[in-house]
Parts: sequence; C-alpha cells; structure tokens
Amino acid sequence: MSKDRARRPVITGIGVVAPGGVGTDAFWKNAREGVSSLDHVTREGCGHLPLRVAGEVRGFDPEAQVEQRYLVQTDRFSHFAMAAADMALADAGFAADALARDPYAVGVVTAAGSGGGEFGQRELQRLWGQGSTYVGPYQSIAWFYAASTGQISIRGGFKGPCGVVASDEAGGLDAVAHAAAAVRRGTGTVVVGSAEAPLAPYSIVCQLGYRELSCVEEPERAYRPFTPQACGFVPAEGGAMLVVEDEGAARRRGAPVRAEVAGHAATFTGASRWEESREGLARAIRGALEQAGCAPEEVDVVFADALGLPEADRAEALALADALGPHGSRVPVTAPKTGTGRAYCGAPVLDTAAAVLAMEHGLVPPTPHVHEVCHDLALVTGRARPAELRTALVLSRGLMGSNAALVVRRAV
Amino acid sequence: MTARLTADELSALMKKGAGITVDAATLERDPETPFEVYGLDSLGLLGIVGELENRYGRALPPDADRCKTPREFLDLVNDSLMAGA
Repeated sequence: MSKDRARRPVITGIGVVAPGGVGTDAFWKNAREGVSSLDHVTREGCGHLPLRVAGEVRGFDPEAQVEQRYLVQTDRFSHFAMAAADMALADAGFAADALARDPYAVGVVTAAGSGGGEFGQRELQRLWGQGSTYVGPYQSIAWFYAASTGQISIRGGFKGPCGVVASDEAGGLDAVAHAAAAVRRGTGTVVVGSAEAPLAPYSIVCQLGYRELSCVEEPERAYRPFTPQACGFVPAEGGAMLVVEDEGAARRRGAPVRAEVAGHAATFTGASRWEESREGLARAIRGALEQAGCAPEEVDVVFADALGLPEADRAEALALADALGPHGSRVPVTAPKTGTGRAYCGAPVLDTAAAVLAMEHGLVPPTPHVHEVCHDLALVTGRARPAELRTALVLSRGLMGSNAALVVRRAV
Repeated sequence: MTARLTADELSALMKKGAGITVDAATLERDPETPFEVYGLDSLGLLGIVGELENRYGRALPPDADRCKTPREFLDLVNDSLMAGA
C-alpha cells in the first residue's frame, strides 16, 4: 500500500448495528463506558439450547430502516447490513441520490460467515412440514453469503466492482482490504463491511459443536479473554458497514476523512489450531505494518481478537510480542467485543469502527468483564484510557483458521 | 374462495409475497403498467404463482411467471381457472 500513494483509501463513513445500540453514537457510548450488552438469549425458539448468553441486537426495527420489498426477500443479516450501509453513506455525507449519478463508481464488498440461517430455517421447515411447493422463491437468494452485497448494490443502484469475502471471521478485515484495493485501482467509493445474524435456532445449533463457544450461564462470566477464567467466547449478531473512498475525492467533496486504511495482511493456520495461530497472526501483523510503512513502536493501540480460550489468548499475546517486540507488552490493548460478543465477520469490522472512533476521541475503550489479566499485555480494563492515538492495529482470527491484521491511521 | 383471481387478491398477494404495495384500484385502472414498474421482479411473481397453485390445488400454465403486466397475468390465470372448472 505504501508503494502507490497516488490514491489513498480512507474511511469517510461508519454505520453500526450492534448489540446495545443501533447507530454509531450508541455503539461508541457503550464501548467508551465499558457497558456490556451480553445477556441471556431471548430469541424465539432458542430457550432450550445450551447457549445461554449472547449479544443480541435489540431495538432494531427493520420496517423503519428498510423498504418492505427488500425485507421480504432477505434475512435478518441483510437487514442489518442494508441499515448499516444507509447509515454509513449518510455519515459520509452522501445524499440519497448523490451516488446514482455515477453508479459505476460505487462498489460493495461484504464478508459473511453464517449467511441467512433464520430465513433458511423457515423455508426448510415449510419444505419438510408442508411440501416443496410451499418453499418461497427468495430462499434461492436470501440465505446465501453473497445476499447482503447483492441487495445493498441493487437497492442503492450501485454498479461498480462488487465482492463477497468468505474467509472466516477474519474476512471482515479482508473485506476492508479488498475495498481499499478497489479504491486504489480506481473505484471511487466502496461500501464495505459485514453484519451477521447467527442467533436463530438452526444457526445456534450449528455453533454448538465449537469447543470455543461459551455456554456459561452468567452474562458477566461468560466471555473473559486473557483471564485465568477464560472459558470461550460469546456469539453476537450485528456488525458495521464503512464507506471507503479515495482521499483526494473525499477532500474535494468536503467529506470528513476519518482514517486511512493503511495496511493489511492475512494468513491461514488451520481450524482450532490456536497454538499455530501465534505465528500466523504475527506474520499478518508484520505484513500489515510493512504495507502501512509503520514501525512496531508507532502502533498506539491494539484491538485484540480476544477469543477467550486460554491457548488462543496465549497465542495472541505471544504473537504481539513476536511482531511488536518489547512494545507488544507496553502498547494499550483492548477488546471492547467482550461487551458485545463476537459477531463473527461483523466483529472485526465493529472493532475497526471502534478503532476509528477511539482515535478521534483520544480514548482507548475498556474491555468489559475482564479484571485479572494473566498474559504479558497492557490490557485496558475498568474504564477508558485517554491517549493520543494516531495508529491502530485491529486483529482477527476465525474458528476455521484465518488470521488477519489491519492498520488504520488517523487522517492528517 | 372465488375461482377467479381479482385485482384485490393480486394486490394482497403482491404485498404478502413481495412486499410491494399497490392498491387494487391502481391495478384495475391501469392494468398495462408492467409489474417491473412497481418493483415486482421475476422471483416475486414466481412466489405469487406458487401461492396460487397451492391455493387452487393445481398447476398454472408454465409461462404464468413470465407475464409482464397485471392484465396479462390476470387473463392467463383466469382463463386457466375457467378452462379447468
């Protein structure tokens, strides 16, 4: 990325649909104050399942956000994505019809890890309960990983380069890198991110086989990475969409330039091989820093993956030490996702949004529920820590073995 | 249920199956306006055909889901119902 400075991809808009809040303000307020939204699972049909605690998006009214014709043909994960895309575009200062003038200049990239499980379950129940003629035609598109990219582009009339990244949880960061690459190649604007909705009976059952899943009963004890009590992760729904565009174009139209997408790298080390993720993550961090032209000491804050399994937490702490040297145990590290849960591909995009907001506010948000850290990390707990933040490193790993690192820098 | 598809019923089906609000009076007044103008795509019409086939307990002509306008669709469905009555 450092090689071609002609076009610089920057983030100009953020839209969030997260547990604890719809909209960036609500999300940041919770993150900054360390408010946790983890709670008992209340989604219909899930009460008998052993997953007790999750990060549910409550207070999201799809009808108020998205037209009925798009709602009936899409799953909840696409409802979140369409709403977040609208918020991100408005945040970037685009009027509703401004992008329609040159639709080929706007692309969409989303990452997805679970697709439209709730929609799919409903249609499959019709198939086996009533017969094949009762399955609606939108089953052919709604469950699919690509649905959100497709619907956002159709709804907005965007005809530029589109993409769908299916590379596990870390795909949320890979999508941002994909968008940045598209902008560097000449695309004007890319709407990018991920939102997931894995809290429906079928989707939850699919996750029960993960040994990393926390089935602890108490919300305040269910997800405590980097502590001796680490017992896995709490899943969540929601996510974030960003607007990434060329810095020059953004400045010309007077848009707020929030942060530069400066570097990214990804590696793969195999499903649940957490010990090996140490090297994979360290290599991703080095690669991202190199692309950003950024020395380890320049990293001002790390948004950790924070899986919450002792061996995975150890691997992440060691990866930071491997890649950042002594700075790895000094740099403030945070994991606001312990207050929201992990929304799979949506999680690292929420972290990217939090990283941009943290740089803007000069505050490292805390890591809810985490008190006793048993790794050599300067984990921010309790309350937010004021700090001059110019460069943030966002980390993500997936249960299937993906590792990724993203460097975002404060725009000057 | 009448063995005849009315504009009222078509309007309700468009709402339920495809989330598209067009009142029956509009469909009756201007039956030549293509479905596309209202935002009803081919999958949406396919869903309406499926719903009607379940309701009537029999198949509609294979080109039912390719109709372009409400008039074309209503005529085809009603001719088919008439022929089968």
